[in-house]
Amino acid sequence: MTLGESELREVCGFLERTEPFPSLDRGQLNLACRAVEVAYFRRGSTITAAGDANRHLSIIRAGAVELRLGGTDLHARLGEGDCFGYPSLIRNGTAQNEAIAVEDCLLYRIDAAAFARLRQESDGFRRFFEIDEASRLRRAVSAMREAGAAAAEAQGAFTIHAPVETLLAMREIVTAPPEMPIGTAAELMAREDVSTLPVCEGERIVGIITDKDLRRRVLAVGLDLATPVSSVMTPDPLTVPLSEPLASALLTMTGMHIHHLPVLDAAGRLRGIVSAGDILAQLGSNWLHVVREIEGAGDPQAIARATSQLPRAVGGLVGAGVDADHVARYVSTVAEVAHRRLLALAQAELGPPPARFALVAFGSLARSEVALGSDQDNGFVFAEDFDRERHDGYFAELGRRLSDGLNTAGFRYCPGDIMASNPAYRRTVEEWQAHFSGWIDKPDPQAVLESGIFFDMRGVAGEIALVEAMRERIFEAARRNRIFLSFIARSAAATAVPLGFFRNFLLKEDAVEGKVLDLKAQAIAPIVDLARSHAIAGGIAATGTIDRLAAAAKAGSLDKEAARDLAACFEFVRDVRFRHQAEQVARGDPPSNLLDPGDLSRFDREHLRDAFKLIRAQLDKLRSDFAGGMG
Amino acid sequence: MALSLFGGPEARLRKAFAKAARDAPSGPLAEYYAAGLPDFALPLSAVPMTAIDLETDGLEARDSAILEAGLVDLADGRIAVGSAGRIRFRPPAALSPDAVTIHGITDDALEQALPEAEALAQLLQRLVGRVLVAHFAQIEAGFLDAACRRVWGQGFVAPFVCTMQLEQRWFPRPRAADGLRLGKLRSGYGLPHYGAHDGVTDALACAELLLAQIAHRPGGAPRVGDLLRR
Repeated sequence: MTLGESELREVCGFLERTEPFPSLDRGQLNLACRAVEVAYFRRGSTITAAGDANRHLSIIRAGAVELRLGGTDLHARLGEGDCFGYPSLIRNGTAQNEAIAVEDCLLYRIDAAAFARLRQESDGFRRFFEIDEASRLRRAVSAMREAGAAAAEAQGAFTIHAPVETLLAMREIVTAPPEMPIGTAAELMAREDVSTLPVCEGERIVGIITDKDLRRRVLAVGLDLATPVSSVMTPDPLTVPLSEPLASALLTMTGMHIHHLPVLDAAGRLRGIVSAGDILAQLGSNWLHVVREIEGAGDPQAIARATSQLPRAVGGLVGAGVDADHVARYVSTVAEVAHRRLLALAQAELGPPPARFALVAFGSLARSEVALGSDQDNGFVFAEDFDRERHDGYFAELGRRLSDGLNTAGFRYCPGDIMASNPAYRRTVEEWQAHFSGWIDKPDPQAVLESGIFFDMRGVAGEIALVEAMRERIFEAARRNRIFLSFIARSAAATAVPLGFFRNFLLKEDAVEGKVLDLKAQAIAPIVDLARSHAIAGGIAATGTIDRLAAAAKAGSLDKEAARDLAACFEFVRDVRFRHQAEQVARGDPPSNLLDPGDLSRFDREHLRDAFKLIRAQLDKLRSDFAGGMG
Repeated sequence: MALSLFGGPEARLRKAFAKAARDAPSGPLAEYYAAGLPDFALPLSAVPMTAIDLETDGLEARDSAILEAGLVDLADGRIAVGSAGRIRFRPPAALSPDAVTIHGITDDALEQALPEAEALAQLLQRLVGRVLVAHFAQIEAGFLDAACRRVWGQGFVAPFVCTMQLEQRWFPRPRAADGLRLGKLRSGYGLPHYGAHDGVTDALACAELLLAQIAHRPGGAPRVGDLLRR
């Protein structure tokens, strides 16, 4: 007389295709089905009032429900397959949200006892109903990374997630003590056939010396070979831990223009040297050839040909499961190399620059967070010797060639004309400072809104120290001006981050349903703005968003958990963007930041909603912290 | 109330029930009647109800057989999915191919089926003291009556709620020819489409329709008597 779950077809069938029930085994699913009671609520009726004792997990079988926090603020709008009521069950407390049927609703409800038993018996079920968005999101991020590594392994690729440790040669490391004479060190290098020699005190690395150093710092200047290596070595070289992923190590080397990295163990002992060549040989992948092609390009068209492969290369990286941060760093490296190569090509034709200068990149390139379809933001910074009358003609042409070349290479002209081709963005350090001072001393909301990207700046060519000097002065001025800080914070906090999704729509705070999610404006930019606000307030030198968040946490202006949560959000939303862009590229569409909420998987929707919530909370906090000026 | 005491549908039902109880031969049918009828003046939430759907091998109660009964209980305005059950009846002869197609009941499934008398006895036990709910309840009432007459020589009298009749009574309006079919009515109330066509699913579908009708009915909570088939 009693029925098996296969006979409760409609109920079990529905649960089976509704998260998180697919994670249950047959017995657990049967238990869930048998625990279901069906209830019907007419449109407009209250299902649960805030403050009610709630005894059920509700699953919407048909219809739509709105959750309003404390009965007022819209918290979520839910449709078929969505669940509600679990936070109060888990807390064993009263409902905080009012649940209202906004359409006629058929609900499947599972009582507290069965819910508790399923949570106890099934990890997947319990995890799904985790109340804490932050830990849910972090788990999603690590799940993506694992899936990425697994995908790469499944393709038989030497995974670029593998730690550098896997590449370290078994042979003994050749090192030199600091007092070793240069001549002896050179003999040692020749005998051991190494191009790089770490200089160590005991097991601790204190410097590094390369073939190139011997040529430039010894032979070219006729230095006495009896001089100790410590006087020509590069002291305190960049190192990586054993666990550093190969992709990271490779990007670091590409970005820094070095070919070797010392690898240290947890105790700080030198364990070996990893070279870019070793990694490339192992990866057997061609995604770095875009960089090499640009570096070897003879004209802007050749650069454009090289960068035209960028979308496909990104698709390949995404397909291999590479995480968003590495993909962004890769795209940024390509962009940066293209900037430098275009300048070099122009200079080869125009002659050497008549004055000292630096090329400064603003915005995403400065942060090393470039995505596909990003536009260019750049300018020139000059030293005191710059004479506009005599020199600007040259730099106007240099700037024009740069921005044209970048546009041809797919880094579109900046719609706001923030480009070195615009005379307004060719300034001396003092002029830049005066320009910024205008915003800082007399902030108005519109100017502040537009000034954001200028606080993300990085020298990419020329005398980078000029950019550094300008950045320091401007940050110092901004940091001291509390009114400006409150403007910056308010401007950041004003971003309307969506609430979540309802059916195939994006749900906004004012209950409006949107058809398009702008990942950049609605999820990525708010995190960038948050990190920047903290960076300006705290005088943080780092430009990258993740680095800024970490530095703000270290300085105590942002709590550690918030920094970690925001970093997870940032990684997740950028991952969604790159996956989305890879799909667009695969379809032959131009990559964009806009996406149809209906195209999102349930996994992405759920976790984006978590990310939105975390970002909104931090924006609120920023607003209140900085409202009257920071500090 | 006066109406139900003097010749209204509730009174007529009580009278017929009492007579059937007197005439029933001892056995399952007599035991069913012995429990009596629920109090029709009670609010709906206080009376146990069971939605029932019969799958049969024909449309004429007198010369067709019941193949299975699907059941699910309602209590306190909610449907308890865990109470859902199915009783299979052994048909007099092998199934006609048509019935197999319509109900998805195969000879294999019928191997677990009980002889009519046994199945009917089990069903009656399950329905003791309950109000029955069906869509187009004449079918269920007619088939159960015919089956009881075959087995015990006495008819079946029970309080029935017919969701099709309720729809006409509570929401009178012109409709298309098939406008009162279960699926049509359900979609009008925003209830999901159920693909399966078996006794249990149809009983559940009917029970859900009743909840929707009650939720949409203007006025306060009805008493049981307001729902009964007339």
